[in-house]
Order: sequence, then C-alpha cells, then structure tokens
Amino acid sequence: MANKVDVAVIGAGPAGLAAAIAAREQGAEKVLIIERAEQLGGLLPQCIHNGFGLEYFERDMTGPEYEKAFVERAMGLGVETQLETMVIDLDGERGITAVSRKHGYMKFKPGAVVLAMGCRERSRGAVGIPGTRPAGVLTAGTCQRFVNIEGYMPGSRYVVLGSGDIGMIMARRLTLEGAKVEAVVEIMPWPGGLIRNEVQCLHDFGIPLLLEHTVSFVHGEKRVEGVSVCRVDAERRPIGGSERFIPCDCLLISAGLIPENELSRRAGVELDPVTGGPVVDESRQTSVPGVFAGGNVVQVHDLVDWVSREAELAGRSAAAFADKGRLKPAGGVKVVPGESIRYVVPHTISGREDVSLHMRVTRPGLKATVKVGGVASKRFRSVRPSEMIVIDLKGDALKEAGTGGELTVDCRMKEGD
Amino acid sequence: MPFHETEVLIIGAGVLGAATARELSRYKVDVTVVEKGVDVGWGITKANVGVVCQGRDTLEFRPEYHRTRLLWRALPLMEPLCRELEVPFKKVGAYMMVRDQVLKEKLDKLAKRTESLGLGSDKYYPFTELREREPYISPEIKGGLHDPEIAVVHPVYLTQALMENAVSNGVNLMLETEVTGIQAGHSEFTVQTDHGEIKARYVINAAGEWVDRIAAMVNADDFVLFPIKGYVGVLDRNCSQLAGSLLAVLPEEPGDMNIVVPTVEGNLLFGIQLQINRRHDRSTTEHMARLALANARKLIPEISEKDVINSFCGFLMFRNFEIGWHECEVAMSARVPRFVNMTIGYPGVSASPGAALEVVEIMQADGLKLEPDPKFNPHRKDIPDFSVLTEKERKALVRKDPRYGHVVCRCETVTEGEIVEAVRRGATTLDGVKFRVRPGTGRCQGGFCGPRVSRIIARELGIPETEVTKAGGGSPQVPLRTKQLLEEGGGDG
Ligand SMILES: Cc1cc2nc3c(=O)[nH]c(=O)nc-3n(C[C@H](O)[C@H](O)[C@H](O)COP(=O)(O)OP(=O)(O)OC[C@H]3O[C@@H](n4cnc5c(N)ncnc54)[C@H](O)[C@@H]3O)c2cc1C
Ligand SMILES: Cc1cc2nc3c(=O)[nH]c(=O)nc-3n(C[C@H](O)[C@H](O)[C@H](O)COP(=O)(O)OP(=O)(O)OC[C@H]3O[C@@H](n4cnc5c(N)ncnc54)[C@H](O)[C@@H]3O)c2cc1C
Repeated sequence: MANKVDVAVIGAGPAGLAAAIAAREQGAEKVLIIERAEQLGGLLPQCIHNGFGLEYFERDMTGPEYEKAFVERAMGLGVETQLETMVIDLDGERGITAVSRKHGYMKFKPGAVVLAMGCRERSRGAVGIPGTRPAGVLTAGTCQRFVNIEGYMPGSRYVVLGSGDIGMIMARRLTLEGAKVEAVVEIMPWPGGLIRNEVQCLHDFGIPLLLEHTVSFVHGEKRVEGVSVCRVDAERRPIGGSERFIPCDCLLISAGLIPENELSRRAGVELDPVTGGPVVDESRQTSVPGVFAGGNVVQVHDLVDWVSREAELAGRSAAAFADKGRLKPAGGVKVVPGESIRYVVPHTISGREDVSLHMRVTRPGLKATVKVGGVASKRFRSVRPSEMIVIDLKGDALKEAGTGGELTVDCRMKEGD
Repeated sequence: MPFHETEVLIIGAGVLGAATARELSRYKVDVTVVEKGVDVGWGITKANVGVVCQGRDTLEFRPEYHRTRLLWRALPLMEPLCRELEVPFKKVGAYMMVRDQVLKEKLDKLAKRTESLGLGSDKYYPFTELREREPYISPEIKGGLHDPEIAVVHPVYLTQALMENAVSNGVNLMLETEVTGIQAGHSEFTVQTDHGEIKARYVINAAGEWVDRIAAMVNADDFVLFPIKGYVGVLDRNCSQLAGSLLAVLPEEPGDMNIVVPTVEGNLLFGIQLQINRRHDRSTTEHMARLALANARKLIPEISEKDVINSFCGFLMFRNFEIGWHECEVAMSARVPRFVNMTIGYPGVSASPGAALEVVEIMQADGLKLEPDPKFNPHRKDIPDFSVLTEKERKALVRKDPRYGHVVCRCETVTEGEIVEAVRRGATTLDGVKFRVRPGTGRCQGGFCGPRVSRIIARELGIPETEVTKAGGGSPQVPLRTKQLLEEGGGDG
C-alpha cells in the first residue's frame, strides 16, 4: 500500500458500497473496498428482478439498477476498489492480509475496517437431506448466478426446498425460462420469505407451496431423478406414510442465509449466536476496536434498503474512528430481546442519541404491539419472522425515560398469520 | 478382438489396486489398471474415515488373522510412503474410552495384549486426566487408553498419489473402462470390457464392492462377502477444537463403531453407523444420520446437528463368522491359477502397502519374473496447498504464477493455480477437482465457487461448460444454456 488506507471495506455488495460512500462523505481520505468477485455489487448483479430501492430511493428498481446508483456515487467520490482480491486474514489489530492475481500478496493496517462480507446460503449438508449425492442439487442463489450471470440452466424440472425469497424468486425465473417448477416445499407452517414474493412469484404462476412439508430423500445415481416429499409433525419430523415421489432433475435449496463471519472470527470479534453476526453497538462497532460491520454480515436483512442504511452508519463511524478516535462511545445500554422477539440489533446503545432498532419476531401473529422498555411502543396489523421490524427511538425520549442500563423489547400478539 | 495386451491386469483403482500398481511399477513388467469410474479412488476408498489403525485398538485384530498380518506389515511402511508421495500423514493419537467402569477390565486386557505382542505400551487415563487432554468429552466417560501411534491420511489423496506415481513409472491406466466378462485361457486371460478385449497373463481382482462378482465371472469366487453399509458425517471446520485425537468408545455391542476422527484437513468426522443394505445403494438415510449423531453426542455432547456439513456412506465387505467377520481375502484363487483376489473390508487403507507387497510376492512365487527397473522414481510432488503455506512461500508462489493469487474457493482458500494443476494431473470433473484440491468441501459446499470451478475446468479441457460433469458421464452440472428450453418449446412459459 503506497498511502495509508483510512477505511478498508471488506466486500463490495450494497453494504460495502454504502459504507465506503459514507466514509468518504464523512471525510476519510483514502477509502478502499476489497472484493473477491470479478465485479462490484455483491449479490445485486444477479438479482435482475425488481423490488429494490422502495425504501431508500422510493422507487421500484432492479438489483443492477440499485447497484449502479451506488457504484456511480462511490466512483464519483474517488473510492478505490480492488476486485478479484480475497481478504484471507484479519487480526485483532485491524491487520488485513489479502491476495489477488494482479496485486499479489498484501498486508496492511488501515485506520478502521468495515466488515461487509454479506452472507452465504445454507447448503444441502447444512440442511441434512438424506439420499444419494447426484448432480442437480444446488442452492437457489447458485442457480440464480448460473441462470442470470453465466447463462446456464441446471435442469428443466425443479423442486425448491425452502420458501426463502431467493427460492421463490427463482421459482418464477425458472418458469419464465421454460422450466417446470413442481413445488416449493416449506417445513414451517408459514412461508420463509416476503408476502409479496409469495404472491408475485408463486400464486401468479400457479406454483404449489407445500407448507409443513419437507424433502425426505433425494433419488438418482448420476443426476437427480426425483425427490420424496412428506408432511412433518409439530416437531418438524417427517410423518411416516405421508411420503410421495415427485420426479424432477433439480433440487434447489433455499433454506436460509448465514452471515459470513469467518474473518470476524479470526479477528476475535464477538458473535451473536442467534443472528450469526457480530455483536455491535449503536455505531456498528464490533467488540474489536476500529472494526465495524454492516449489512448481511451483521444480520440477514429482508430488504437491501436496510442493508445500505446500516452500512452507511458503519462507514460514518469507521471514518470517525480512523480520524484519531473522533468517535463517541456508543455502548452503555444493553438491548435485550424479550417476549416473542428473536433478536435485536444493535446489541447496545448509548441511550442519548436517536437510534433505529432492527428486530425479528419468533413467530407470526396479528394485532401485535412491540414495546421497547418504557420508551416506545409501536403497533402492527400483523408480524412475521420473515419481515424485519424497525423501530426508531428518539435520543430525548431515551434520556428522559432513563434506561437503567438495560432495555427489553417485547412483542404481544394474537395468534394467526 | 483384443485391443490391448498386458502382463498384469489390475481391475479397480481403489487404494488396493493403486498400491499394487505402484509396487509393481518398481519392476520392468507390463502393468495395466482398468477402472470403471472417471477417476481413481471413488469406490469404497472414497467413503472412508482415513484412520491408519494400529491393530491394537480392538480385540478383533487377532494375530492369526491374515488381515492383522498384512496390517502389521504395512504399519512401518505407511509414513515413509506418504513422505515419498507427499501425501499428508498426521499422527493424531487415539483414546479408546469406556463409559462403564465394568468395561474398564476390557481396556486392561487390551493394554496387556498390546504389550505382550510387543506393540508398545498404552497408558490409561481416568476421566479427570482425560478431560485435561480432550476437554470436550462427555462427563459420562470413565476413562480411556491412549494409543499415540494412530495417524490419519486422506485415502483418496493416497490413492491418487499412488496411481500418479505408478503412471509416471510406466503403468497404463484406463479410466471409464468396465470389466464385463473374463475367460481363463491356458496361459492367459481374456478380459472383456466395454471398450474391447484385454489379454493378460495375470489378473488382480481389486474391484472393491464388486470383487466377488468379478471373481464369479471366472469361477474364482472361493469366498463369500456381505456388504454392510457404513454412514459417516462431516462437521464444520469451526468444530475442530472439539477433538484433537481420534476418540472412540469400546464397542458395547458388537458392530458398534462409535468414533470421532480428525481429518488431515482439520474437519471432524463421526460415525460409523452400520446398516445392512442393498449393494451399490450408497444413499444416506435419516435414520442412520440420527443414530450416528446421537452416538457422537455421547462422546462429545457439544456436537450439534447444525455443525454437520456433509455425510456419506460406503460399504464394508464383511466375511462370515467362521472365518471372522473382518477377515480379508488376499490370495491367488485356489481354483483359477494366476487370478489373485484382493479385498479387505477393514482396514484396507492402513493395510494397503502390506497387501500390495504380498500380492507381488504371490505372483513372483508363481513364476512372474520381476526385474527391478533402474529408472523407477519413488517420488511424487504434491500440488501446492496455498492454504497451509507460510507467508514467504505464498508470496513466492504468487510471484511465480499469479494464478495462485486468485482465491476461487473462499471456505478452503483454494486458488485457481491449484485447480488448474489438478486438471493437469487428470481431474476431468467437479468431484475430481474437489477430491484433489478441495474447492467446495467447506461450509458453503460450493455455493460460491461451484460456477467458477466449472468455468475453469471447461476452459482447461477446451469443452463447453454444459459438458462439465459432477462425476462423469450423465452427471452434467448445467446441462442447458438459458433460452434453450424456450426455443425447444420444452415448457409452456
Ligand atoms: C438471491 C437474492 C435475492 C434478493 N432479492 C431481494 C429483493 O428482491 N429486494 C431486496 O430489497 N433485497 C433482496 N435481496 C437482499 C439483498 O440482495 C441482500 O440483502 C444484499 O445483497 C446484502 O448486501 P451485503 O452487501 O450485506 O452482502 P452481499 O451482497 O452478499 O455482498 C458481500 C460481498 O462481500 C464479498 N466478500 C465476502 N467475503 C470476502 C472476503 N473475504 N474478501 C473479499 N470480499 C469478500 C462478496 O464477494 C460479496 O460481493 C436478495 C438477496 C439474495 C441473495
Ligand atoms: C465407512 C468406512 C470407513 C472406513 N474407514 C477406514 C479407516 O479408517 N481405515 C482403513 O484403513 N480402512 C477403512 N475402511 C475400509 C477401506 O475403505 C477399504 O478397506 C478400502 O478402501 C478398500 O479398497 P479397495 O481398493 O478394495 O476398494 P475400492 O476403493 O472400492 O476400489 C475398487 C475399485 O474397483 C472399481 N471397479 C469395480 N468394479 C469394476 C469393474 N467391473 N471394472 C472396472 N473397475 C471396477 C471401482 O470403481 C473402484 O474404484 C473404511 C470403510 C468404510 C466403508
């Protein structure tokens, strides 16, 4: 590195781009994004469908359009990028080791680091489907890349396991490509993705959604020849005798995303076992000083708009930190998930500043009220685990209410979906 | 019409076939190996936990067993062999443990037997001391016997290395060539394959799961085999701290094989859950997966279902009660001269160097002339493994060939340079590359690198990507181009 890097951003998805832009705007001189893929944008280039930007730009955009808006801003601000470069190590003192064909083997220590590595999909092994191991079993996101970027089809007749957004979006995409999607199979009693995707991707195309079902066996020696699908009981265990065979040549897995935190682990960043991402304070600083995080590496967001917002926060904070610790301490008050709340991000807040809490519920419900200690409460007609809830708190209100070092978030709701 | 003639024909390129081919390549003799798969080591050898066992871990290694003698003969050979071939070999040691104080007697007996056989002396550790060495073991464990000699190898790497070295020393390897029939002639065999006939003076039948069927083709089936399916689970690399050594409990019931094994790569394997099954059906079942996990948790309660990133099954070829369930068959057929059967249910990997030596001696005793080949080179260079190199080595490698600076698989840190080299050494499929340099074996199981590896293979082999397969003919990963279905009117979208 010729000049000292003020803020190094790992990953050039929507999170990395937004963080880099925010860091530059906050005054960081040299901001460098390191990305292992061939292009900027993370997952966005392969998301050629619409539905992006409704919150951030108040416009319905495709993934590539949304990405372009950020790439142009980043380039305009002189953000530097290194593509096809893999960060292979991050130590507890912000030391980065990266390699690439072009730049060789590099080691440097930036003023601050933003983790924006996104997430990976749960694989067949992680889901644990018994059966043979033929070609034709892949994750929905990998299939999306093959179809939308590389121009290949992994098969012509599909079953999708898991009703995550990517799975539902791919069910529609493959149908449009002339393939047959036999069913989307979901183990839970409710779909894993957004309602709009259930309607626009499945209902509109007559693709059956089998709730409380799972794939119990993969058949086929060389290529997938079909799968056994069966109903599950309340413990999510297959019900004997309910099995039926569905012929297909491809099984797509869309069974959830896992934040990509191998580097965070190496750096000694404390992780939240529920989100799978780093424990962060209000400024998105992790447990390692000078290491910040934003986007899907922290929590799996449902909308890319929240990814950008969260990463901007991380980028601004990183720039402040790099500028000789011009960063106010932002911890202090612990935010605790209470009744029917699976997690809340950030994990700690200052209790003085305006702050947004991001959270997910443990189960769907109607007429829900989310209460944040005695500070705020918000009502919802319905809540679902697949949809993130965001609650904005005012600094004044927090100061006034006094938090006593801890703030519990609860959700009361009526049964129903 | 014979399309090929050879002095010695080896059927099957599993660890036993490959070890024998390599042993024979020391001599000036014509050797051909036929393998029906697209790659070597993909039979039983692939579904294996890779333990170089010492023959003192169970009472079933009786000195009078043939397999015990082959194993003991092989033991001093394995480490030097791995060094010559640059195959990772890791001494991890093992604890044979008991959950029941009563069973401790059995351990004492085991320890005494080891000593009296002159195999070394294994120390017993009670739970508290064991726990200091292996902090994650279950509190239900009472204690365990430590065998410091147990090592692990990767059986497929070993097989590839043996075969690569054999080929570079003149052995002829024919992949995707399946033996379909054999006739014993007066002085030679005529072997039918799906590619034509091969004439051979000696046949070594090392066909693994199909060894009895091949023998039956020529009435050399002097033995009976019962294939028993074994299930093995793979844990995420993040769990590697849970066991530093091989951990096993002394079987409480016959057939119980409850072990957790570190691999040379640092993953943990667990199993082996056994089940009687139709031959050839290597599918895993929910039942086996559940039992194996429950058993593993009896050893290490912290192992959780979400850490299981993969699983597989393979067949252990069992004999019968009179001979000993685990006895092997490594001998010239009593009925068919010059036809050698070679099968070891367990531990075929560990015993392979010994078995190979013995087969060579069997043929020599029968009159096969073996003159040492002065050009024989025992060494083979391994493909550089970027993920384990030091900083200095990495820098030098990237400078020499920048493709080693392009990391393709993030989970296992595998570079383009390694993938290209794997293809150069004979990998033609996604699994072939995976079983040489590991892309796609980590926690995302190829989610990120799958499309990229397939592109590199297509480029290196000069074939379209639609022809790149997972594991040979009939298993393309992406059989179609986009728009193709629409043009062919395949769907109604
Ligand atoms: C298939 C799919 C469909 C979606 N559809 C929608 C939708 O319709 N509407 C919507 O609003 N949102 C949608 N989303 C969500 C949105 O795309 C994601 O939330 C967003 O991409 C996450 O951004 P990110 O920057 O955190 O992660 P990513 O986009 O995953 O970017 C992370 C980047 O980090 C890089 N990286 C990781 N590790 C390293 C390393 N060690 N060294 C260098 N680089 C590294 C990766 O290559 C990647 O480019 C969808 C997501 C997916 C997967
Ligand atoms: C779950 C499990 C765990 C094990 N763990 C260990 C261990 O830890 N340590 C140990 O030492 N041993 C272990 N073993 C035993 C060991 O795997 C076997 O003893 C060994 O791999 C057998 O090797 P092989 O060469 O005989 O068979 P294979 O590897 O099956 O090789 C036979 C080859 O012949 C080919 N073939 C078959 N039919 C034909 C035909 N008609 N024409 C051409 N080619 C043909 C096949 O494709 C195959 O490649 C384990 C076994 C199992 C099942």
